[in-house]
Amino acid sequence: MNSKKKGMSLIAKQRAAGWTFLAPASILIAIMSFYPMVRAFIISLQKGTGANMRFTGFSNYQRILVDKVFQQSIGNTFFYLIIQVPIMLILAILLAQLLNNKHLKLRGLFRTCVFLPCATSLVSYSLIFRSMFATDGLINSILMKLGILHSGYNFLGHSGSAKAVIILALIWRWTGYNMVFYLAGLQNIEYSVYEAAKIDGANGWKTFWRITVPLLKPTIIMTFIMSINGTLQLFDESVNLTKGGPANTTITMSHYVYNTCFINVPNFGYAAAMSFLIFIMVAILAFINLKVGDTRD
Amino acid sequence: MKKKMITALLASAMVLSLVACGGGGTDSNGGGDTSSSGSGTSSSSDSNKLTVWAWDQNFNIKAIETAAEQYKKDHPDFELEVVETSSDDCQTKLTTAANAGDYSTLPDIVLMQDNSYQKFLKSYPDAFTDLTDMGINWDDFGKLKQSYSMVDDKHYGVPFDNGAVIACYRTDILKEAGYTIDDLTDITWSEFAKIGKDVHDKTGKYLLTSEGTGGDTMMMMIQSCGANFVNENGDAYIVGNDIAEKCVDIYTELVQNDVVKLVNNWDEYVSTITNGEAAGVVNGNWITATIASTEDQKGQWAITTMPSVDGVDSATHYANNGGSSWYVTANCQNKDLAEDFLKSTFGSSTDFYDAILPQTGAIACYLPAGESDVYNEPNEFFNDQPIYSTIVEYSSHIPEFTKTPYHYEARECINTAVVNIVNGTAKADALQEAQDTLQFKMTE
Amino acid sequence: MTKQKSKSMIQRRLIPTYIFLGIVSFISVFPLYWMISAATNTSTDVSRGRLLPGTHFMENFKNLMSQQPLWRALGNSFLYAILTTVLCLLVCSIAGYGFEIYHDKWKDRLFSILLLAMMIPQVATMVPLFQMFSKAKLLNTAVGFMLPIISTPFMIMMFRQNARAFPVDIIEAARIDGLSEVQIFFRMFIPTMKSTYAAAAVITFMNAWNAYLWPKVIMSDNRAMTMPMLIANLITGYKTDYGMLMCGVLFCSIPTMIVFFVLQKQFAEGITGAVK
Repeated sequence: MNSKKKGMSLIAKQRAAGWTFLAPASILIAIMSFYPMVRAFIISLQKGTGANMRFTGFSNYQRILVDKVFQQSIGNTFFYLIIQVPIMLILAILLAQLLNNKHLKLRGLFRTCVFLPCATSLVSYSLIFRSMFATDGLINSILMKLGILHSGYNFLGHSGSAKAVIILALIWRWTGYNMVFYLAGLQNIEYSVYEAAKIDGANGWKTFWRITVPLLKPTIIMTFIMSINGTLQLFDESVNLTKGGPANTTITMSHYVYNTCFINVPNFGYAAAMSFLIFIMVAILAFINLKVGDTRD
Repeated sequence: MKKKMITALLASAMVLSLVACGGGGTDSNGGGDTSSSGSGTSSSSDSNKLTVWAWDQNFNIKAIETAAEQYKKDHPDFELEVVETSSDDCQTKLTTAANAGDYSTLPDIVLMQDNSYQKFLKSYPDAFTDLTDMGINWDDFGKLKQSYSMVDDKHYGVPFDNGAVIACYRTDILKEAGYTIDDLTDITWSEFAKIGKDVHDKTGKYLLTSEGTGGDTMMMMIQSCGANFVNENGDAYIVGNDIAEKCVDIYTELVQNDVVKLVNNWDEYVSTITNGEAAGVVNGNWITATIASTEDQKGQWAITTMPSVDGVDSATHYANNGGSSWYVTANCQNKDLAEDFLKSTFGSSTDFYDAILPQTGAIACYLPAGESDVYNEPNEFFNDQPIYSTIVEYSSHIPEFTKTPYHYEARECINTAVVNIVNGTAKADALQEAQDTLQFKMTE
Repeated sequence: MTKQKSKSMIQRRLIPTYIFLGIVSFISVFPLYWMISAATNTSTDVSRGRLLPGTHFMENFKNLMSQQPLWRALGNSFLYAILTTVLCLLVCSIAGYGFEIYHDKWKDRLFSILLLAMMIPQVATMVPLFQMFSKAKLLNTAVGFMLPIISTPFMIMMFRQNARAFPVDIIEAARIDGLSEVQIFFRMFIPTMKSTYAAAAVITFMNAWNAYLWPKVIMSDNRAMTMPMLIANLITGYKTDYGMLMCGVLFCSIPTMIVFFVLQKQFAEGITGAVK
């Protein structure tokens, strides 16, 4: 091994090292993800169950065109994406910036508090949100005491407010999670850069947009892609907060796919076809992101 | 210092991963004490041991463990291992394994919701064992109960948990409004609606609670008429189905007149009971477990039959909601033992049913059990009513109806239609949409 | 201006920040409080929406212990989560480093392709993966639990993006000092990127700790039970004991919180020691 390396030029040696470094992870992904994906694609061209699968071409994909509930779920999911992701990410950067201040006391405690929601078990979090937004729940009693409402409003029982609850829940749960990446990313920015900016008379808002955001760009791109991916595959909230209701107005694509496999009479071919549509949508959005934002200056 | 620690940590991780991977290749016990057997087989190859999937420690699991104890008296070497698996997880695991064509992870015996069995039988007919000739007198179980686990006159499951529908009412609230439990016994839904409106006006309470999404009320209504939202040919049957339309009418009227409180999920459903907001509940008799856990309402509840649908010849006061049966999987290496175990406990022993009743409140589908003294004992919580024998009696009257593998699809479509009608969609449009969606889901 | 004065001035200017963070913290922590208080109440009280702490914690805890193997589930969850985290960090960080430091057109393309792996719903690939693991005799094993989540595009991306801030001159200097490429990674990169590792550890630990669908599908053995499986068992009965459930949920949530609290200083204030 060593004698072989000696013969290589320095550049070649480095290139070999690079490929070696990324090999284990890439091979694992190829086996654990890509191979099953290829198999899933084959399944998406088939109908039937278990051993009785038969090829039917693209008919599962054609089925999507006439499936009104799935189309509704696409609309719901994109609604969540457009509203929730920007709010959440801006809030997360803002919090990271505030919590990165060396003069701030108790910052460890604050950071932990903000992170707590995503560490809270899904079961309890959904139970708590359902109970808070119930017709006789906490939110309603507060609103009634403040005189905003006269009688309890069934938040989860109306499509508009149920969607709003899901978005609130998502922001509540994932802002702290995204803040973690920004906090870690902020450590790579020299503190002196801020000091210099301060001397130049830039206020907090200006430093935020002119220094923090540009320097965090790689992290922002990453969290954006992760959030798009996470939202388009959103499942937990739809299942646990609203069960997709009322009348399928909050159901997400992944929830519908899951139902197709495990709640309803199993139809794995169709589920795989819908999954590939989700895959294509995420991929397109993610690569627009990478193309636009992920540049090395 | 820290640098060294991290390096050491990473080095140990690499060693560990090598050990783990190496272990995986040669001996799958490599992951510590976490694996049962090298081949990944879950069902027991040991000739005296059975593995079971079931859920609910206080109910199903306690019941089958009691059965095992009883069976051990005559078969001292017998062993039973219960793997607690929720009903949802059971479906996920079964579906994945069956679709992958690998039954080796399945246990010997599995408990399954009656409403989901037909879909498994349709999709994976060879995953379960035909039990027709195991020596049980099948007519000891109610006709309807048998039919859940039957296909083409063959029996695949031993019915266990009774799902007979009961109506439970708060007698104190009824009294406040000037009614007694007799006024609500053997009534029709329109009479129920009248009383319910009155009760709501006088007390502010609701005579019925129902889940808006995924609720069972509509299913109970139509099945009490011996009908369903699908027909014998396996087609969606909502539009043009007179009984279905009547049920939809009744239900929307109940919602619009504040007789029924529409809740969004199971927790809210339970809350209406514990909060005292519900003056009545119509559900499978297993709901008594939840009701009885609200200690301070002791003596204030009574049970009776559910209302019947107006203007339908086949209407009855009896239906079934939920409940479950035991199935023997195709992976069972010890079919004779599994059959004998189920036969001598769940299939024939009134002693067994007498033993589990006080412990679990699990009410049998096994009709002879209802005649025993234990079943006829008065229940303190329910005003000294002998609720157990009453429920067993109800379960013998439930009419049969057309089964469909698409139970959950039908339920979802009809609930969606009702929500839309309540929100102002014209009834004909909403039902047409339900019909179309259900028919779409029933074709591949 | 004395030092004292400027300090108090800074604090005064931070008052709005404190208020804002106070509100955010309250909203974030409230459900946790609710959870703790529910764990000390009876099921009926929880269902009735009682918010004040009660006196039934020991009773709920005893019920939980008598029904569920709490210690074993905690032990399993810790074992799986820690092993997964260590392996994942190692495999993904070295890959992320490789993708960034030695980046060229082909590696960038490969990276884009790897990203695709996370974009498909898990449900779609579950059956093929199950078949694969069944053939490899990995069903019901800890290896089967961990293998699919060790290498994730997400973690590779995280290290790749953060490696962008790793100064190239350090690498050059190290090479001149005669360090091999592997040595540079272990001796220079890892200590420098402490904050990234800490953040990645928190996230990976959390994901592994909460992993549910796949483990549940391949594990059919009581001895392999993890915390999320234990919680699932608590909500499936005909009757839910909310007090006991919240007690179990508390035990399920606390470890991730502790891991975060311990590591947050590392990733939030771990200003790179070794090189700068």
